[in-house]
Amino acid sequence: MAEKIFKDSFDALVIGGGIAGGEAALNLANNGFRVILVEKDLSIGGKMIHLSKVFPTLDCSACITTPKVSEISRHPSITILTGSEVKKIVKRGKNDFEAMVIKHPRYVREEDCTGCQLCEQACPVVVNDQYQYDMVGRKAAYIPFSIASPRVAAIDIENCTLCGACEKACPTKCIDFTQEATEYQLSLRSVIIATGFNLFDPLKIERFGYGKMKNVITSMQMERLLAPTRPYNTVLRPGDGKMPCRLAYVLCTGSRDITVGNPICSQICCMYSIKQAQLLMGALPMADVTIYYINIRSFGKGFEEFYDQAKGMGVNFVKGKIGMISEKEDGDLILRYEDINDNVVKEASHDMVILSVGVVSNPDNAAFFDSGQLRLDPFEFVCQTDLLASPARTSIGGVFVAGTASGPMDIPDSILSAGAASSEAMSYIIRK
Amino acid sequence: MNRKLGVYICHCGGNISDYVDVEKVKAAVEHDEGVFLARTTMFACSDATQKEMVEDINANQLDGIVVASCSPKLHLTTFRAVAERAGLNKYNYVHANIREQVSWAHSDNKTGATEKAIHLVKSAIARVRLAESLDPITIPSRKAVAVIGAGISGMRAAIELADMGCPVTLIEREHFVGGRVAQWDLLFTTDQTGKELVTRLYDDIAKRSNIRLLTGAEVIENTGNIGDFTLKVKVTPRYINERCDEGNLQRAIDACPVEVPDDFNFNITTRKAIYHNFPSEYPQYPVIDIKNCTRCGECEKVCGSIDFSQQEKTVEVKAGSVLMATGFDPYNPSEGEFGYLQFDNVVTLPQFKRIIDMCEEKLTFRGKDIHNIAYIYCVGSRQVEAGASSAGGSATDRYEEASRDISGENRYCSRYCCTSVIHSAIETKKRFRAVNNYHFTRGIRTYGKQELLYNESLKMGDIYLQSYENDPPSVIRENGKTTVRINDIMTAGKEISVNADLIVLVTGMVPRSDNRIASLFKLPKGRDNFFNEIHMKLRPVETVIDGVTICGACQGPKNITESVNSSLSAATKSFSYVSKGELELEPIIARVDAALCTWCGKCMEACPFDAVKKVVDGGKEIAAINNSVCKGCGMCLPVCPVNAIDLVAYSDQEMETMINALAEDIK
Repeated sequence: MAEKIFKDSFDALVIGGGIAGGEAALNLANNGFRVILVEKDLSIGGKMIHLSKVFPTLDCSACITTPKVSEISRHPSITILTGSEVKKIVKRGKNDFEAMVIKHPRYVREEDCTGCQLCEQACPVVVNDQYQYDMVGRKAAYIPFSIASPRVAAIDIENCTLCGACEKACPTKCIDFTQEATEYQLSLRSVIIATGFNLFDPLKIERFGYGKMKNVITSMQMERLLAPTRPYNTVLRPGDGKMPCRLAYVLCTGSRDITVGNPICSQICCMYSIKQAQLLMGALPMADVTIYYINIRSFGKGFEEFYDQAKGMGVNFVKGKIGMISEKEDGDLILRYEDINDNVVKEASHDMVILSVGVVSNPDNAAFFDSGQLRLDPFEFVCQTDLLASPARTSIGGVFVAGTASGPMDIPDSILSAGAASSEAMSYIIRK
Repeated sequence: MNRKLGVYICHCGGNISDYVDVEKVKAAVEHDEGVFLARTTMFACSDATQKEMVEDINANQLDGIVVASCSPKLHLTTFRAVAERAGLNKYNYVHANIREQVSWAHSDNKTGATEKAIHLVKSAIARVRLAESLDPITIPSRKAVAVIGAGISGMRAAIELADMGCPVTLIEREHFVGGRVAQWDLLFTTDQTGKELVTRLYDDIAKRSNIRLLTGAEVIENTGNIGDFTLKVKVTPRYINERCDEGNLQRAIDACPVEVPDDFNFNITTRKAIYHNFPSEYPQYPVIDIKNCTRCGECEKVCGSIDFSQQEKTVEVKAGSVLMATGFDPYNPSEGEFGYLQFDNVVTLPQFKRIIDMCEEKLTFRGKDIHNIAYIYCVGSRQVEAGASSAGGSATDRYEEASRDISGENRYCSRYCCTSVIHSAIETKKRFRAVNNYHFTRGIRTYGKQELLYNESLKMGDIYLQSYENDPPSVIRENGKTTVRINDIMTAGKEISVNADLIVLVTGMVPRSDNRIASLFKLPKGRDNFFNEIHMKLRPVETVIDGVTICGACQGPKNITESVNSSLSAATKSFSYVSKGELELEPIIARVDAALCTWCGKCMEACPFDAVKKVVDGGKEIAAINNSVCKGCGMCLPVCPVNAIDLVAYSDQEMETMINALAEDIK
């Protein structure tokens, strides 16, 4: 149980420190409201901070996320709790919410850590690095990633052997194994849910071989391979470290697929796959990239032009669904697919396959309020109860939704949705 | 001057350091005059590095910093804030762009890139040696916003701004509010109709005393700038008294002998010169279309509320910020495009939506029953370069083939049309019996949860066909029957023909053809000709014209939800310009040396922002700069024959020392 209890009050609680939550928090704070931003992860920045470049402008994602992140983190009207979970929210009345938040122990005193990484060097334990999507290892005493905010160490207590090496190495003596969870009791005037999305788990589609065939990776793993802070400093296939030269994208992995219970379209996979294909053509000039698709959905501003550009660069687009993937002895992969243009079943050999995994809802949303109060849609995204006139409204007055917590959307749409949520929260607070 | 400078050179992950040897750059500049410390950093913009910089400045009492990283467009404000947090005047920081201008541009020449980076950093150091501390220009900002366009986006933004306590003037060119949404009866993914939605928002507007609604109102002049815009608005009267008797008005409408095409119904019907678009439309009384009125006086005979003495007037609107929500036009196919205006049973999607709204028990068009409907997708969207598509169009006595040319300027996808037409097709099938829907697509784009509608339509038995790229379907009239023919991808290229009673061209969104408002505000447009935002992700509702925000479909195709999201975002942004009552502006502007100026007027001609005025100063005519309009673009500098103008922070002396640094060691 929590050792310390803090009480405080804010104008708004923003749940989730990704790009949507961050934008909403900044909008509120810049207009003079006090915000508490609660992030489950050890750093704010959400998924966007881990991406390579973003479509269709090919801006470096870290470069446009980090200034926002640092603006949020140093804003005098925003309080950030990382590694923290919203346990329960109760609405007492208009402009009157109570929330209980638990900040899990980091076992490092954040204010004293300088991010020197000496603990990381000293730690003898190596486990999979979740921020590199398990493609490389990290220590049990670690800084989450190089551009994390806050950029301070944390101890992964589940894997830590309590050997004490980090404590000895730390020059500021900020490692503290006696830390306990802290409870925050907050009174609030409004709530913004910006809990984002989860990626579809490709293990659910056994015939694609993910998890068994090493050269079948997810699009998020490819995103990391292409990012400036990438794990191998080049694009390699994980099976044998070979530089791939025949890459295939399998679109709609876990989207538009009733067999996995997700009939909706994830809205972003076509475009991020096209973007990765363009980046790969740059990173691996000799490589062929093939995208297997049902429909290409390049619907946003500049998207169709971006798709045309990829075709012009020589990306090969094949209309057809992948039936199954099998592995050859050398690690190459055979894709069996229906070629719609020719109306025949074909097989093609590739040396690396990227599964363009879709967007699924974040299950955390169901637990914030007492059962049923916060209405969810059939896919467990937060239900937008006034979709046309007030897209940020939910079934609870004063609780608004921003970004992909309400359904799949790309970054520009998430940011506009966050703008709507913060706008509604502001007028809700002011209106009385 | 003795300076103590800090220089930071960024790797930008690998974006810079993959091509520029950043350590070499550091070594080349660390002994330059005034440089106290030079460091390289993985991400200069990261929180940790920013903290380090603040510590460096404080610990070493630095009085100037140079950051060499990406374009200042991204991070100028980030590093200015760093300087401020360290107690350093932010104009003592100078930026060097070694990503866009070096590593990305010269990825083929690493040695050359490093050389160039060294010179750019040296010139930035040279400039910061001369940097002076500056204070921002503070101007008052009027707490009021002018919203232009009372469609869904503008109405929604007005309500939100009003609720934040900001007075709003909502300016609508038409005599009725609601824009395109009022014309759409059925709206996808909810059960609301366009009329219901508009009525609800109109009621919300009417309830708020701080919203002034002007209809029949067109902005004809714009002066001023952020914080203090003055708009001249021409208001056309309705020629009907406000307190009118509705029964008599209907009799007046019946009495009017004039019939003109009805814009509201996309010209598939006619209306009178005294009209309302639909009963209960807002504002709830009709209007006389004075352009088409013959002044025959028939209406006056039956209705006492008619008042031809009403005069057009000009209203002045003052606001601290202007929010643009001017919407879109539906693509208007050219004559003969897939048979439009060539065959009488070819209509556009907006016309089709009006047809299903107007039909009651049976679906009919021009007196004929409709059973088979063919929908041709992407008309006016995803167009190709001229010559890339087959033009078609041939005719004999009894056989006529329409043009199927899909070349044009509109490369973009209009994003709303797939879902909109599928939704309309479903509703048509539900409402009218014996309707068969045939969709001639270019690949369905029902993104997100809209996919469920596509699934529903498939289950209802709609037939989906898909054409090959550059081989669009053809529309043929033979023996009085209209056929749509396609080489269908879904059946491996089989030629499939459908006899259609009605052909619906699924037309996309195009920018408003009437572009006067954009020229009044000098709003820039993107390559798709919609209004352009500053940055799609960082500043999606702001424009390069300070104080003017954009939202809804004037920025690019959007559905209603997306429009409203952007409109609320724009409302927040506009509110932030006016909420504090004052604004801080950049002090980097032109400065006139009154002693040197001889007033020739050349600077005034050169200024793209109308910031230069002639004033009399001590009996002498000289140029004066309007501080809140000048953007420091420097256009006036080179045209001055007596060199009387200098740019703050970019003085001749500063530029010369930069040029010297750039030219150093170059033989």
